[in-house]
Amino acid sequence: MKKTLLAASLASALFAQAHAADTLTFGYAAYLFDDKFSTILRNGAEAYAESLGHEMIQVDANNDQGRQIDQVNNFIANGVDAVIIQSVDSSAAQPMTKALADAGIPAIYVNRKPIPIQQLGSMAAYVASNEIESGTLQTFAMCNQLRAEGKAGGARGYLLMGQLTSEAAIQRTADAEQVMGLDMCNFMTLVAPKTTGQWQRTKAQDIMTNWLSTGEPFDFVIANNDEMAMGVVQALKSAGIDMDTVVIGGVDATDDAIAAMKGGDLDVTVFQNAAAQGEGAVNAAIKLLNGEKVDREVYVPFELVVPSNADQYANRN
Amino acid sequence: MAGLAHGLGGLKYDPKKRHRPPELNVFVAFVVIVLLFEILGRLFVGDSFLFNTRDGIDTLFNEARLRIIILQVAIIGIIALGVTQVIIAGGIDLSSGSIVGAAAMVGTMFAQSSINQYGMENTAPVLGIAFLDLPVIVAIVAALAAGLLAGVINGLLIAYGKIPPFIVTLGMMLFARGVANWTTKGKPISYLQEDYAAIGAGMTPVFIFLGAALVMHLLLKYTRYGKHTYAIGSNEQAARMSGIDVDRLKVLIYAIAGFLSALAAIVLSSKALTGQSGMGVMYELDAIAMAVIGGTSLAGGRGSVLGTCIGALIFGVIISGFTFMKLDAFYQEMAKGAIIVAAVLLDQWRARQQAARN
Repeated sequence: MKKTLLAASLASALFAQAHAADTLTFGYAAYLFDDKFSTILRNGAEAYAESLGHEMIQVDANNDQGRQIDQVNNFIANGVDAVIIQSVDSSAAQPMTKALADAGIPAIYVNRKPIPIQQLGSMAAYVASNEIESGTLQTFAMCNQLRAEGKAGGARGYLLMGQLTSEAAIQRTADAEQVMGLDMCNFMTLVAPKTTGQWQRTKAQDIMTNWLSTGEPFDFVIANNDEMAMGVVQALKSAGIDMDTVVIGGVDATDDAIAAMKGGDLDVTVFQNAAAQGEGAVNAAIKLLNGEKVDREVYVPFELVVPSNADQYANRN
Repeated sequence: MAGLAHGLGGLKYDPKKRHRPPELNVFVAFVVIVLLFEILGRLFVGDSFLFNTRDGIDTLFNEARLRIIILQVAIIGIIALGVTQVIIAGGIDLSSGSIVGAAAMVGTMFAQSSINQYGMENTAPVLGIAFLDLPVIVAIVAALAAGLLAGVINGLLIAYGKIPPFIVTLGMMLFARGVANWTTKGKPISYLQEDYAAIGAGMTPVFIFLGAALVMHLLLKYTRYGKHTYAIGSNEQAARMSGIDVDRLKVLIYAIAGFLSALAAIVLSSKALTGQSGMGVMYELDAIAMAVIGGTSLAGGRGSVLGTCIGALIFGVIISGFTFMKLDAFYQEMAKGAIIVAAVLLDQWRARQQAARN
């Protein structure tokens, strides 16, 4: 049913385009409709394009790279003005890049980086958030809060990594460690070597309880994601620890994390703005169509979430 | 039972030749590992593993550590109880971790509250407003029913479909994980009721584990169900010839395993205050490992609930011991792997010795 509707909308949109020459038609190739983050991104792109008076046709690859390549070729055959792609498999983007370049149609990759990035020519761009920012923003905000609490003379804490094979976990951890190496923040030291909670709440809960059993005093806990930060919060609460004495930071701004932040248990998290990535992709496409130059990689900033601005981040990711 | 396994119907029984119960070996290994951490701790960390060294707290032992040692294995321990009887019966269950995921989603779906612990209103209930604030028993029954159903399907396919347990439960492992992901399209379920949260709070998971262990111990040791389970694991053909309804028993065995996985799912989602479709990933292997370390033979016919409980404790001591030694997560995984193989090696050696003695 979904597909029939899409096919119908594709036909009618193209028909409409013939009438209004200044209305642009974008093709949007999503990797999967049933994904919350991806849906917010897609809806953000569509709402923005429509607000500018343009049209957007969306197709769902249903997590099948072969199907996505066909869909992009269909867009080309039907003469859309630009194509925005959230690729299924970032290392299999090349055939789509080449087909679009040959047809002279701008290709905008969003959220998932095409590998290698050098395949993007003058009529292509990649729009996303830069993973380097999340761990840096998080740890720096925690550093500032510890300073504000008068702990600049020395603060000890723990670091919980995500899955060891995950690029995000490695990047966020490296950035956290880099911030702890800055002159301004090197009062932050780790009580025990960093360890992995495998992105999971229950794993983090047990690890934190183990750390508590050593009886070492500590001031902060850095977690690579909000799920593990929530595990830490729950472990500390069930051990009856005053949550005001510990600074806890996560990444993702999940609903649970925002709730915990409003309840005073979580101190820092970081928001990846999906809707803004969608808008950025549309903007890049319009610029390329107007003959303006666009950077090969366009980054939409991560946003720091702390109790004072937590309200505006509720139910957004 | 082991005394009868030599095919002489117990006629050769000689009290002087009575060997130690197999659980004793496991228990000795457990004590050795604990002592090892105690000694290494005093040598390298300058702290005691078991005893309290903190000022201001007046207890002999480090009670916080003793509690977490058992708490962190209680949930997988519950699964291991079901897996133990499956392995004793000569089968295997790879689906338990995925059943945890599916049952956790089904259970938490019915356990949602209209308001969360911070007093915020639930704006997006999974099943709609009519399903909020139901009696907690509804969620418990729903989760247990889901686990039981998955177990019964496993059992029926194995007993009457004549498909090897490895294949059936591998299929169920994928299927149940699919169901878990499908329920909310991967979105976590939050806003759980306080009464539901109480199930996994504090040390309750440990009491549930011990309660389930006691029931399973009595069931395996003193009932016809238990004796028949050992019988089909030792020699299925012989058990069938002697009139045991092997097929019906198999369905029952896998049903109980599914039920216990669902029980673990309830405790887990309650402890974490959330239902997530990724819950229980790899739990099946940890559960099998606990049973095997505890002396359960993958060849069937041998094993006990007591052994599995000690196997679970060994797991807990290792996790806590490595955190105590301030060693990296990498080493923990290596040690876990080595200990599983070492345990089976020791067990094989012991079995050969015993055979030689007879």
